[in-house]
Amino acid sequence: MHPKRAALIAYCDAETGADRGGRIARHLAECQECHERLRRIRGEKEELSAGAAAPVCDPARDWDAVLAAMAAWREGRDGGAASELTSRLQWQLEKYFGAPATRMLRRPGVRAEELLGEANAMMEAFLGPQAAEAVRDDCLRGLVWAGPAREATR
Amino acid sequence: MKRSAYMDRMESAPRWILCFLGTYLAVHLLSLYLWHSAGLPLSTPGTSGNSPGLFETGLAGAGLWLCLVALRSFPAGTPFRRVWMLLAVAAAAQVAPGALGALRGTLSLSSGVLGAGFASPGWMERMERFALLAGGPLRLALLAAAMLPLLRILRKFGFRVRASAAGRAVFGIFCLFTLCRFCEAGAASLAGGRIGSGEWISLAGLPILCVLFLEAMLLRRAVAGMGNGLIARAWIALVFAVLLTGAGEAALWAIPHYPQSLPLAMFGTLIEISAAAAFALVPACQVAAQLHAVNPAGSRPADLATGVPALAR
Repeated sequence: MHPKRAALIAYCDAETGADRGGRIARHLAECQECHERLRRIRGEKEELSAGAAAPVCDPARDWDAVLAAMAAWREGRDGGAASELTSRLQWQLEKYFGAPATRMLRRPGVRAEELLGEANAMMEAFLGPQAAEAVRDDCLRGLVWAGPAREATR
Repeated sequence: MKRSAYMDRMESAPRWILCFLGTYLAVHLLSLYLWHSAGLPLSTPGTSGNSPGLFETGLAGAGLWLCLVALRSFPAGTPFRRVWMLLAVAAAAQVAPGALGALRGTLSLSSGVLGAGFASPGWMERMERFALLAGGPLRLALLAAAMLPLLRILRKFGFRVRASAAGRAVFGIFCLFTLCRFCEAGAASLAGGRIGSGEWISLAGLPILCVLFLEAMLLRRAVAGMGNGLIARAWIALVFAVLLTGAGEAALWAIPHYPQSLPLAMFGTLIEISAAAAFALVPACQVAAQLHAVNPAGSRPADLATGVPALAR
């Protein structure tokens, strides 16, 4: 019966007892396959030892990975705000103009900032600047993402 | 508190106008039915002479006031400033015949006290002619002029400004009606009949009304592409107002041709008052939309302080 990998690793580290170690040694002398497995384990162990002594580090690649993770997190957060803003704008447009006008403005792939800009221009033209500002403020109220959007419409 | 109540009244102006019109129409149709069922000969209770009735003038006055409120919310340089300015002047021209009619009545009554010079026939005739001009061709020309920038703005925002087949048909029918009126007047003139100044002024308004009809058809199509929101309602009211004005012209033409047709004169009056109500609805819906934007839920006191004064003060 072949010894398990864990037993071979323990044998390699001299962590098996005398009896068990003797049995494994006798088996290894007879079994070429287990001998080969032991050889591979020893090779991996040496490789790991060498890596721990001088860790491989690529700062540019790691920094890119960190930035990508941050961007993904921010996109997730802003995506929620953009979706909320889009739905608020859609509601306001339907209230003041109607569903066809909303469909006309909400083209596929249009970003929330663009939609806000176009809706704001329409509201300002048809309702007047003061009423349009009130509608815009109502749309942006409570959104974390409101800062840049406000600037985009001014 | 006072301001909130005032705002609520302003915001519900379209509902008030519609309620008033509904009541007026219901009362008149009921009286017509009762009169008819009693078997009494029907005398037309329409307006006297060329002056519009009190209700029509009242609606025109309300429309003028609402137009001015709407105009104040569009500062100089904004695209709708010109539209609302022209609509306000047109509303003022609509008020003029009623106001001048009342003035003429007052002058003729008080001619004994003030002297005959104030109520001389020439002076009265000039006033009447001016009232006819102001309430007819002048007002229609102002409305047509207001529609042009409006259609331009709608096109700029991507709404299709193109007449549908039905719109073209309506426009064609009204053009034919105008042509018939001119042919009729020409034939009467050739036969030696005398055409009064009132008739000439009415005829002068018809080509402008044709243009207005075409613009109304274009506007109808553009607003149909917009939807039925609060702003769209204002402009659809303008379309109906123009259509009702045309129907009123047709009724005015038909009345002398069918003097025995009992409800026709009354229907003519009802159409005119409906048109006046529709014209008043245009700024009423606009102001209602603006106030709704400033105070969406009607329960945000912070917005009342900032938004209302410029719109409604």
